[in-house]
Amino acid sequence: MSLTRRDFIKRSAAMTAASYVGINLPFAQRNAAQAADADHWVRGTCRLCGVGCRLELGVRNGRPVALRGVPKARTNYGYLCMKGMLFYKIMQHPERLKVPLYRARKDQPFKEISWDEALDIAAKEFANAVRKYGNDSTAYYGSGQCLTEETYLFQKVMRGGLKTNNVDGNPRLCMASAVGGYLTSLGADEPIGGYANIERSYCMFIIGSNMAEAHPVFFRRVMRHKLDNPDTVKIINADPRISETSRIADMHMQFRPGTDLALMNAMAYVIIDENLYDQKFIDDYAVFRVGKDAKQVDLASYKADLDKYSPEKAAKLCGGNITAEDIRTAARWFATSQGTLSMWCMGINQRKQGVWANNLIHNLHILTGQLCKPGADSLSLTGQPNACGGVREGGGLCHILPGHRVVANEEQRNQCEDAWGIPHGRIPPKPGYHTMAMFEAVNAKKVRAIWINCTSPAQSLPNVTPYRNGMQSDDVFLVCSDIFPTKTTECANLILPTAFHFEKTGVYGCTERRSQITPKAVDAPGEAMPEVWIVREWALRLAKELNDPVIKQCVAPFMDKEPDYELPKAIWDEYTQKLTKGRDNDLRGATYEVLESMDDGVQWPAPTKEFALTGGTVMKFVRGSDPMAETEAKDDKPYQFYGPAHADRKLWIWSRPYVGAGEEPDADYPLYLSTGRIVDHWHTTTMTGRIPELLRANPYSYVEINPKDAARMGVRPNDMIEIETRRGKVEMPAKVMEGPMEGMLFAYWHDMHEDRMINKVVNDAYDPGSKEPEFKICACRARRISGPKALKPYITQLNE
Amino acid sequence: MPIGGFIINTLPQDCAATVTVLEQMAGVEIHATDPSGNIIAVIESHTSDSMEESVKEIEGLEQVLSVGAAYLHVEDEVEKIERGELVPPHPFKKNKNKRAEWA
Repeated sequence: MSLTRRDFIKRSAAMTAASYVGINLPFAQRNAAQAADADHWVRGTCRLCGVGCRLELGVRNGRPVALRGVPKARTNYGYLCMKGMLFYKIMQHPERLKVPLYRARKDQPFKEISWDEALDIAAKEFANAVRKYGNDSTAYYGSGQCLTEETYLFQKVMRGGLKTNNVDGNPRLCMASAVGGYLTSLGADEPIGGYANIERSYCMFIIGSNMAEAHPVFFRRVMRHKLDNPDTVKIINADPRISETSRIADMHMQFRPGTDLALMNAMAYVIIDENLYDQKFIDDYAVFRVGKDAKQVDLASYKADLDKYSPEKAAKLCGGNITAEDIRTAARWFATSQGTLSMWCMGINQRKQGVWANNLIHNLHILTGQLCKPGADSLSLTGQPNACGGVREGGGLCHILPGHRVVANEEQRNQCEDAWGIPHGRIPPKPGYHTMAMFEAVNAKKVRAIWINCTSPAQSLPNVTPYRNGMQSDDVFLVCSDIFPTKTTECANLILPTAFHFEKTGVYGCTERRSQITPKAVDAPGEAMPEVWIVREWALRLAKELNDPVIKQCVAPFMDKEPDYELPKAIWDEYTQKLTKGRDNDLRGATYEVLESMDDGVQWPAPTKEFALTGGTVMKFVRGSDPMAETEAKDDKPYQFYGPAHADRKLWIWSRPYVGAGEEPDADYPLYLSTGRIVDHWHTTTMTGRIPELLRANPYSYVEINPKDAARMGVRPNDMIEIETRRGKVEMPAKVMEGPMEGMLFAYWHDMHEDRMINKVVNDAYDPGSKEPEFKICACRARRISGPKALKPYITQLNE
Repeated sequence: MPIGGFIINTLPQDCAATVTVLEQMAGVEIHATDPSGNIIAVIESHTSDSMEESVKEIEGLEQVLSVGAAYLHVEDEVEKIERGELVPPHPFKKNKNKRAEWA
């Protein structure tokens, strides 16, 4: 690169950064065409977490050469994190899957085959399973990282074509409890507000989330707001572990894992006891309910249920650093601030009582009227980039249908069947297997053909060993569509290479109900294809194999559409115009044309293009912000809670007791074990483990140990520790630090090495309502096994 | 040789001292600061490995609150990867069934 071109690019870099903070630099940029840093820039969304940062990929001669943020995007305002910046390397990575691979038996090596052969095999095997064992012997397990178009089309073919509701996805492992909480508390899934509430809030309650590492660009907004308003904005961080997020908190509440239910009930106790609740808001908009039958009760009854959660009693139960006075202070800040924003993630969701934990957060907001006004919101942070848009909204779980419908409702099944032009009765009336049940069914040889798309359950399931063994059996035909080899492709018969982000076109819907488009910018390597093409071609062959024209009908609107743009566009049009019409996630205004013209995207509901172009609904249910609050209004009140799950159109304050974790420490296993992510790695490191910068920083898993426990165990930093639960053992090097509280270990979960794969030992007990497993808490014992060892990171390879 | 544009944040009173430290780091150019504690920096490095090291080092400075990435140009590196001159290194375990000792 010439010196002048290099200088040009350095100035571009400086000017881009300076523009974010309104600084004018003293040099003007030359417009010389030959010094261009890229031919053109393609605007899209980051591939990684649920924040939905918008960025532009610079393309030159057909290859990615640069990345920059989109300064006007209302999600990230231009900022990116280093993980998002480095995903360009995945596009060119030499280990990318490029051709279909097949083996008849799983002890054989993979052979390269053509797409025709591969799709024929996939169709024959699924058809055979249907003929021999019935429709419910087939299953699809998808991902919150799939584009909405992909999830929608897959579930359409499974339900309408193969007549099974065995459709589930990895958001079952992370967001299902949040879904359950929203539906049972507010009557509708997903947050009422969004990120705009950060800068308007006066109190932020961050619980069960280490957003500094898991959602760094989101944390930047929180941090900025706090630093700009150090005295007027209060931050409470509730977490058994001191994390990077705790640094900006005014109060850090450290409680025994699982006792957050008691803690939040205690805050509610204070709010009632000190008359800090909003009587008018409760009278106008809420009811109190209790028990399986959701029996309606009154405030007096709810208050009586809270008796056991006085601050003194709760502090005793919670242990840690919790004092009665802190509980009172936190409750008062929460209730009396001009706008209180709660944010939470896996610490609350990945629990046997995950739905209840979510309910208790919503309770605090409903009691105090901290909803629907600027800065006030209960904002569940989504982990994956498209758990909301694709899976929760597009019908990617076993009990739901597109457009926030439910399988169990016949009228709603018929609406989908009519929209799809297929006969009534094709979609079975009962939900299919949820994730844990699906893999139990693989083990029990009830599921004989399973398609796993863009996720790696052979590493990410809790208590993973028995499920991985089941997947490795030759009694189940396993198709994996992905971009790299994973622990799950090790269990496959058929591996299909897929196009990566920016190598195909599609929409992601992020945490704050905002759908944003990422167009194709560069070609996929080798013969890798977009999933929407793969599903269509597979469905056509399935229709022939099973002699069932209805399967063909499921993809009929998408014939002869080229796969890079026209095909996903046609799918998106069908989904938004037909399936979201009139639903609470109405996306009719968010056409591809509209989305492409915007810096960011559209928050639903957005029934018209004009409204979509403004950005959509900032606050749901609020007249003046939400068009459906007008069209669905039943009276004059400013807030209209029209969500599909509450016929009474009320917010429900739930009386929920404290119930401990599924597996608490005991004499044999005296320590708590919790697990989580660190900033450099995403999930199972399929992607981030292949990026040397990220891998180098945290090449393998560590376990954090509190200094008091380390002293007792004779453990020094980097000593090898064996962690054992009732389900198995792993070993990891130790980090001795004031992270986890005393009596608790915190292990990083990303490592795919056999010896360090922590999911082998965590508990697979799950929430009875959401079916989400309790990754976050189980009982373990630990011992030092040796001094430091030289370890190497491990990433799986094909045909090992 | 990747080139990145960053916004580095400090408290306003720590800005000048941080700039002094940053200016001594190899490959780091400071282009501007403002009264809010924003520092506009361009980092140039041999490989994206070393850029990541530099960013981590800066993030580790006591007075640095956060480092926001705004722009990254990597054409040189992408060309090398395509020509096979640079293979993003990652070690593999050849035999997955072998239990790790010296892993």
